[in-house]
Amino acid sequence: MAQFLAVSNRKGGVGKSTIAVMLAHAAAAWGGRRVLVMDLDTQCNASLMLIGGEGWDKAARAGHTIADYFYDRFDKVAEDESAYVVGNVGDIAHARAAPGRVSLLPGSQRLEDIQGELYLKVSKKDLDADAVSVQVRSRMKRLMKHFGMDFDLVILDCPPGLSFAALAALDLADRVIVPFRPDFVSQFALDRVALMIEKVETGEQLADIPFEQRRYACLANTLRGEGAERMLLDQLALDHPLLDARMPLLDSIARAFDWDETKKNMEEKYADALPHLRALHDEVFGAPALRARTAQA
Amino acid sequence: MSKTTKALSGASQDAYFRRVLKAFPNVPDDVRDRLVQQLRREIAQVRLRTAIRRETLQGAPPPEPAQGVASTTAALPAAPAPGPFDPYSPNLIVVVRTSGREAALAALAAIDSADNLRLLAREQRLSIGADCASLAEMRAAIVTAAERRIANRKAAAS
Repeated sequence: MAQFLAVSNRKGGVGKSTIAVMLAHAAAAWGGRRVLVMDLDTQCNASLMLIGGEGWDKAARAGHTIADYFYDRFDKVAEDESAYVVGNVGDIAHARAAPGRVSLLPGSQRLEDIQGELYLKVSKKDLDADAVSVQVRSRMKRLMKHFGMDFDLVILDCPPGLSFAALAALDLADRVIVPFRPDFVSQFALDRVALMIEKVETGEQLADIPFEQRRYACLANTLRGEGAERMLLDQLALDHPLLDARMPLLDSIARAFDWDETKKNMEEKYADALPHLRALHDEVFGAPALRARTAQA
Repeated sequence: MSKTTKALSGASQDAYFRRVLKAFPNVPDDVRDRLVQQLRREIAQVRLRTAIRRETLQGAPPPEPAQGVASTTAALPAAPAPGPFDPYSPNLIVVVRTSGREAALAALAAIDSADNLRLLAREQRLSIGADCASLAEMRAAIVTAAERRIANRKAAAS
């Protein structure tokens, strides 16, 4: 069974999709893992980074997106999910014999509508609102879990906000990476997403959970190295586990995600961001929870 | 170094250490000699480290002292000039949360400039009124603002 790694933050614009794709590339290229990126964000940024606009449009027209998958399979026994997956995506060149590959379950702008339709469909069974929500979420979680049989790692690129899909992904994830930008509102976003991930209601309850037992770790992203950032990180470290790896604000990261079909190696793609990605890869995939899952697999 | 002071080195430095140590008559002669040697080595290390730091900062090696000359250029280095004020230190919110109000006030007591206190307050987003008349009032207002900021975040996290 694959490891499920969610990249999540209720706040938008913190670099979730970028980090999800970077981790996917790193895990495939350096860890030799068969990686599936599941794009749960209706902005579909991870999909656009990995297969470009035309590739995404083709998948959407063929009915091969995450929204189609949820809709088609909601009431059915899971069959061959591979029809929804685009294989060997992205612009990283892998050696022919190497097992590491990145695949994609493309995102869809219709995912929010589909979730509404599924909610209405379940609510016809005379359940109360909470029970309907739980049922929709549970079914989505099971549908996502089916992909665990064919991959070593499933990266769940979560949307901002609290959709059924996002909640199901957080429930399914073995571990959650929470990217954030070091600004005033980010601390509130981290506090809130931490409560959801650890399924507690107050900061006091969260504080009772030792850092090493938490499922999530926070990743400081787009750092400029300013004093105010360092100050904020010190404050956040009182309440949340922060990864030692940090992502600076670099042009090379922005350039790396211009859609380009030309295959390249990791050094060419990530340039001066490479050591930061290496540190992130080593820290995330060296984590005890993931190591334990790897041993079981 | 001003022209009215003279740096000690070599034998004159050793003699100075022996003179100071004579103030402790209970220290045996052999121990006193070892202390003088140790102090000489320590002073040399300080000079070496300072020279390396100066070289690193300036990107150029320090001038070589003339061989065999008891030179005042081999003098003890002047105390380093204080660096620019860091308005992010101490991190008031961290100090208040981990050590409490009194510790935060104590940490701020080391800052004895109203301008620096205002700069710290501004950079750490700790709003204080313009009517604080004394340094003590400013420090208290800064800590109160930090407490308010902590409460503000706590209120939102639910």
